[in-house]
Amino acid sequence: MAHNFRTDLAIDWCPGCGDFGILTSMIQALGEMNYGPQDAVVISGIGCSGKTPHYVNLAGAHTLHGRGIPFATGVKLANPKLKVLVTGGDGDLLSIGAGHFVAEGRRNTGLTIILFDNEVYGLTKGQASPTMPLGMQTKSLSKPNVYNRVNPVAMALAAGYSFVARGFSFDTKQLKEIIKRGLMNDGSSLIDVLQPCPTYNNINTMEFYRQRVYKLEDDKSWDPIITESTKDPMEKYKLANSKALEWDEKIPTGIFMENRTIPSFTRRLNEYIPNYLTSPPATQAISDSKGYTIVDPVRTFADKIV
Amino acid sequence: MTKLDVNVIIGGPQGGGIDTSANLMSRAFAFSGFDIFSTREFHSNIKGRHSYVHIRARDTKVQGLKYPPDILVALDPDTIFEHFEDIGKGTKVIYDSSFATSELSQARMIMRDTASRIKSVLDENKLENNVNGMLEYMKSHGGILFPIPFEEIVRKAVDDGVPNRYYNTLGAAITLSIIGIELESTKEAIKHIFGGKEKVIAPNLKVVDEAYKYAQDNKLAGESAGKNAKLSQFLLTGNDGAAIGKLMGGLRFQTYYPITPASDESSILEEHEAVKWLSGEAETLGSGGVTIVQTEDEISAVVMAAGAAMTGTRSATATSGPGFSLMAEGISFAGMDEIPLVITLYQRGGPSTGLPTRNGQSDLLFALNTGHGEFPRIVLSSGDVRECIYDSIKALNYAQRYQLPVLHLIDKNLANTTELVDGIDVKKEKIYGRNEPDGNGIYKRYSLDTKDGVSAMGSYGKNIFWLTGDEHDELGHVTEDTVMREAQMEKRFRKVKVAAAEIPVEEKAVIYGDKNAKITIVTWGSQKGPAIEAAEILSKQGINCRILYLRMFMPFPSEFVEKELRAGQTNIIVESNMLGQAAQVIRMNTGVDISNRILKYNGRHVTVDELVDGVKRIVQGKEKEVVLKNGA
Ligand SMILES: Cc1ncc(C[n+]2csc(CCOP(=O)(O)OP(=O)(O)O)c2C)c(N)n1
Ligand code: SF4
Ligand SMILES: [Mg+2]
Repeated sequence: MAHNFRTDLAIDWCPGCGDFGILTSMIQALGEMNYGPQDAVVISGIGCSGKTPHYVNLAGAHTLHGRGIPFATGVKLANPKLKVLVTGGDGDLLSIGAGHFVAEGRRNTGLTIILFDNEVYGLTKGQASPTMPLGMQTKSLSKPNVYNRVNPVAMALAAGYSFVARGFSFDTKQLKEIIKRGLMNDGSSLIDVLQPCPTYNNINTMEFYRQRVYKLEDDKSWDPIITESTKDPMEKYKLANSKALEWDEKIPTGIFMENRTIPSFTRRLNEYIPNYLTSPPATQAISDSKGYTIVDPVRTFADKIV
Repeated sequence: MTKLDVNVIIGGPQGGGIDTSANLMSRAFAFSGFDIFSTREFHSNIKGRHSYVHIRARDTKVQGLKYPPDILVALDPDTIFEHFEDIGKGTKVIYDSSFATSELSQARMIMRDTASRIKSVLDENKLENNVNGMLEYMKSHGGILFPIPFEEIVRKAVDDGVPNRYYNTLGAAITLSIIGIELESTKEAIKHIFGGKEKVIAPNLKVVDEAYKYAQDNKLAGESAGKNAKLSQFLLTGNDGAAIGKLMGGLRFQTYYPITPASDESSILEEHEAVKWLSGEAETLGSGGVTIVQTEDEISAVVMAAGAAMTGTRSATATSGPGFSLMAEGISFAGMDEIPLVITLYQRGGPSTGLPTRNGQSDLLFALNTGHGEFPRIVLSSGDVRECIYDSIKALNYAQRYQLPVLHLIDKNLANTTELVDGIDVKKEKIYGRNEPDGNGIYKRYSLDTKDGVSAMGSYGKNIFWLTGDEHDELGHVTEDTVMREAQMEKRFRKVKVAAAEIPVEEKAVIYGDKNAKITIVTWGSQKGPAIEAAEILSKQGINCRILYLRMFMPFPSEFVEKELRAGQTNIIVESNMLGQAAQVIRMNTGVDISNRILKYNGRHVTVDELVDGVKRIVQGKEKEVVLKNGA
């Protein structure tokens, strides 16, 4: 029998929240990937978005504000066979957790990061988040935003993520496919999801996005994949970047870039640490049948002997 | 067995090969069968500023350093200036005779405050503001000068143009010959430190020969100190000890963000990532290595280690004051979510960046209280290199047994102390098996059906469970229910009571010396060795005292400490901080107020002699509080 990926917990997001669509897409993607109950884990930070792991019937962690990525990295590096998903808000991943967001691009550990992009801090009642443009004033703000915005897609491309995409929470069919592709990527995937927050953000509504989004894949010539045999990878990277900068009138969704030539962090470690991928930290024996250590300090630290 | 007890300070510019001299001397002593103990003092600087190694060699066990040194070896003029206060009657000052006219004003790498103190001493004594002036000053304080023509000796030995590249070897070799260490041991040491590099070994051996010859010809060479049987031993720092212990204790994942004096431990682990297994059964079980990850910051380091821990991997991180401050929220999270996690906290002089490369013990109260909210933790501390090894195994065990953050304190002085360790016992500590779910029914990570407060810990990849920094129910889902909240709080704190009862008292506090002595010196961390020796010396002088040495601060051995301190008439606390933090912990837990305090907060290591002196001043009723000042 196929695993039921939904828990029976009551979901406490506001009615009409874009988070529901993301959850649905995730659940469908996990099902279609045919994962067993022990194959994947879902890790989050704190925020409305941070509640997601509790709604998914997989092992999960709802960690600290901004710290989903480092926790998930620890899980993945200790047990690389696990598929590790991260759900985080725009405040969580791009403000308090921004350092981890950038570092993860450099690592390319193999996480599937889903960014709940609602341009506000939902759970703390609607303050401006890092993706809200300068001068914008939602109903939750007492004056227009005095910060400028960062562009998560461009930032992910610059940081080095090997898979960068954008979805829309009210297009679950497309989002599900993007998540599946992200899960199949060996390195880390960043999926920016346009997620209306009807409670605090009266500007970036479902209608706002419906009028603007278009799918990159609708252009039949769009090919975001870079492999060893790609003739001009830099050209593709440039194109992805220029698409990433489109906003205002028309907002692209779909896959901006999938670079299969960047080795994942786990593969990099495997080059140096003996048998890392076949005997990762989580599966190693640490004691013998009598409970004593199996490490030989004399041979391991022979250089310290006089 | 021949007699030997010698203290040497060898100084030179940071990055100028002072470690080579120190390594050469330690090994030469070791190859002659003597015990050694040394520590390294250096600035937060890569090249140029004054750095020195204080080393002591002895025919019997040595566990502390003494002032004034018997020998001061200056590999640069700065050393002579910097150590102006360290000369006692008979201290031999060995230096390059070409330093004599070096001006203090040219010693730009001496910190301005230090230079001005040096200047005023020279001026007060109407001495020239140069090395000659300082040497005069040293002579008037009992110093015996040994000007050595460094360049001339090296040129006799080798002719490859850059004589000063051999000054480290020469300085060490001259010193060793003056002490009476046999030439063979020194040569063996050269071969050992330059292992296999024939091109380097050959000229260095020539320099050693020439140094010994010079000492002989000029009647400087000491009477032979003889040679004792040499054991096959480890020469280890506190950092090494912690790394070895962690690996033996089953550590397979460690994170770190570079910081002095903690990151050496992670670098050592990384250098030994290809673990070697014991023979027999172990060899069939062992596979893979240890994974060390340099993270983007310490927040990531603590949280990443927590994530790895939840896969069932024994995980840890190591840091120092500033990084530890950043870890506070993560530690609270590990406490709330019952994550087995070891944080090795290398204490240095704070607050803020403080004295980044100097000693301090000012993070004890912080370690006991890091992180918001109330959660259980274990806080233990090591006092010598052996303890660093076995305590690191214990720390990993405690983390698994009680599923909580374990903070293991090691001070900078101990991290940088080098000791000979004869053999490591692979059967001294067992590795606890984790309490794993039995697979029956729905798995509840935070099951309340537990006597000791410890619920079965599943792992990612094997079980489905949740964890959340929010208060949670048995499955690990968020709750704000009043009754569940109380039950989970009580469950978590039950573990502390169990730990307090299960962990033997000798792992928490130990008495050394005469059990019936009426004077008790209470201390912790790297003062352990110096305090034990100080008590021996004092007892011989008729001041009978003993040591109460603290190893664990949470759970605290309240009953034991209260009993021991009430029995004594005079209690003296010795700590490397300003507030007497351990004394505060003792008072908080037992009500016993220790009003006699010997404190040190200049960032340098505590020496045996200043401790002896401090205790005397207190016992003689002269002072209640003594601040120790030794160290350049
Ligand atoms: C260290 C810390 N600071 C502040 C908070 C309070 N806090 C909770 S959620 C949140 C912002 C959430 O915004 P976002 O990450 O965009 O998630 P959303 O709720 O919009 O999904 C903040 C600041 C916290 N939990 N931890
Ligand atoms: S506050 Fe906004 S983001 Fe949070 S649940 Fe409500 S609608 Fe969704
Ligand atoms: Mg948000």
